[in-house]
Amino acid sequence: MSFFTLFFSLLVEAMPFLLLGVFLSSVLLLLIDEGKLIAKLPRNPILGAIIGSCFGFLFPVCECGNVPVARRLLLQGVPTSSAVGFLLAAPTINPIVIWSTWVAFPNQKEIVLLRILFSMAIAIIIGCVFSVQQNPQPLLQKMLSKRLRVPQQLEQKGIPTLLRGGTFILSGEGSPVAMTEIIPPTPRSKGMSLGGQFVSNIAQELRELGGMLVIGSAVAAFIQVFVPREIILSVAQGTIGSILAMMLLAALVSICSTVDSFFALSFASTFTTGSLLAFLVFGPIIDIKAIGLMLSIFRPRVILYLFALAAQLTFIFALGYSYFG
Amino acid sequence: MKNRQNLLPVLDGMAILAWGILLLKYSLSGQLKLLIHPNYFWLVYVTGVVLLLLGGVKIGQLVGAKGKRVSQFQEKHLTLFPPGYSSGLLVGTAILGLVMTPSVLKSETALQRGIRESLPLTRAQPQAFGSTSKPEERSLIDWIRTLNAYPEPDAYIGEPVKVKGFVVHSPQLPDNYILVARFVITCCAVDAYPVGLPVKLQAQESRSTYPPDTWIEVEGEMISETLPDYMKESANKRQLIIDSRTITRIETPSDPYHY
Repeated sequence: MSFFTLFFSLLVEAMPFLLLGVFLSSVLLLLIDEGKLIAKLPRNPILGAIIGSCFGFLFPVCECGNVPVARRLLLQGVPTSSAVGFLLAAPTINPIVIWSTWVAFPNQKEIVLLRILFSMAIAIIIGCVFSVQQNPQPLLQKMLSKRLRVPQQLEQKGIPTLLRGGTFILSGEGSPVAMTEIIPPTPRSKGMSLGGQFVSNIAQELRELGGMLVIGSAVAAFIQVFVPREIILSVAQGTIGSILAMMLLAALVSICSTVDSFFALSFASTFTTGSLLAFLVFGPIIDIKAIGLMLSIFRPRVILYLFALAAQLTFIFALGYSYFG
Repeated sequence: MKNRQNLLPVLDGMAILAWGILLLKYSLSGQLKLLIHPNYFWLVYVTGVVLLLLGGVKIGQLVGAKGKRVSQFQEKHLTLFPPGYSSGLLVGTAILGLVMTPSVLKSETALQRGIRESLPLTRAQPQAFGSTSKPEERSLIDWIRTLNAYPEPDAYIGEPVKVKGFVVHSPQLPDNYILVARFVITCCAVDAYPVGLPVKLQAQESRSTYPPDTWIEVEGEMISETLPDYMKESANKRQLIIDSRTITRIETPSDPYHY
């Protein structure tokens, strides 16, 4: 019985934010010219990741809303580093979350500052790691990779065609041309007004992501009901133990980044500042509910890498703070 | 096959409509307060209305396109699940939500999460303790708040108490003690945080008179005793205890949580 209550509580809390994310994603799709956007974004992976992680200021979404937007960015051909940077940083680096953390820790401003700093650093590092793979197709969930709007040919200009992957045909002058370069872009409207497309796109994304949210929430509620918190808290002995316990808790409780700082506060008396930071940094990046959503973008292996990298970095940062802070 | 093709967009529209109805049902029936913090009520309400409108427009599109070849949006049938499963899942969940009423969290959950006599600091902190509010007018949460501000149990000895909450049987406490507890919510039921105080029953009573989850109003006065620590932080601890004079069973309040 309490399973259903928790399950619906998660869904009801997340649904408005998911809708907001889907709205922003549809606006991006229809109103922003992807060609211009991509041309403006730096190719340099570090800069790209930095800019991507600052997109959170433009799209203030939490971890249920960032997935549709990140997905749209990737589909529009934004470099992987920027999109991953956005995916990881947006739930933390946005005005609402910064404000709520500020309110929750009025006497510990360093928590606010370090939360931003650590999340930024993690997003940028992971963004750079992923930029090694310039063509996002192998990372993406199979069906999604077929939907990529702009094949990432920009980086490939100047590379001899012999060294490039893909399908080529001979053009009139006898030189090979990549198929992707000559396919005309899909016309935007097909018998439907802009508004109609907008609604269609929202409906489609809501359907896809809503289904994942339902599954993610079910798993999270299940864990809440059947795994006592005491077990996690009893592991929390010493500096390392408490950091690991708080990270585990962050992944398990699946609460929105806009309110997780309030939740973290209830542990403020029992846990070290380092482990609270670990909770605040790791929680928005990965939680069970969001893994369901992320499965709609990436292949499972990629999520595993993201997860492992983010966990290790969070751990190292939090530990570093505990010893040197 | 052709029928299925036409059915899918309808299912989409239905899923959105169903969720709109579910969210509005929660908003209008007041069940929302069993699920999330009142700060987010308006968000759910607005989302419900928007979903209802969206679902309406979506179905309107389909009706308008009847007869013509339905020119669906380019990108479709590209999900993790086979087409229709995701919408089906959404519709199913929404129907489940419409049929089932959310329940009040139980003592089992409270024990599982660990009852405390400290509050998350997020909650409105007491501006002053002691003199401003009459002790017998304090709610359970007011007591916890006061105790948070000044944790010495002896400071409250002899003060009259009258609080409402539900019964929890703590395995750490002796048989003639129960806990009177309530949940505090910061965001949603998922982070509901149980707080409570031990109640010493009268000499002839045992805890079996008050089964777990019974809502009670306890009247009595504060004493302090050394008891096994129900928060499991140490073996024995001197703590504030309500020495009960009368315990009355009450109905489950319509707003069982504190914020």
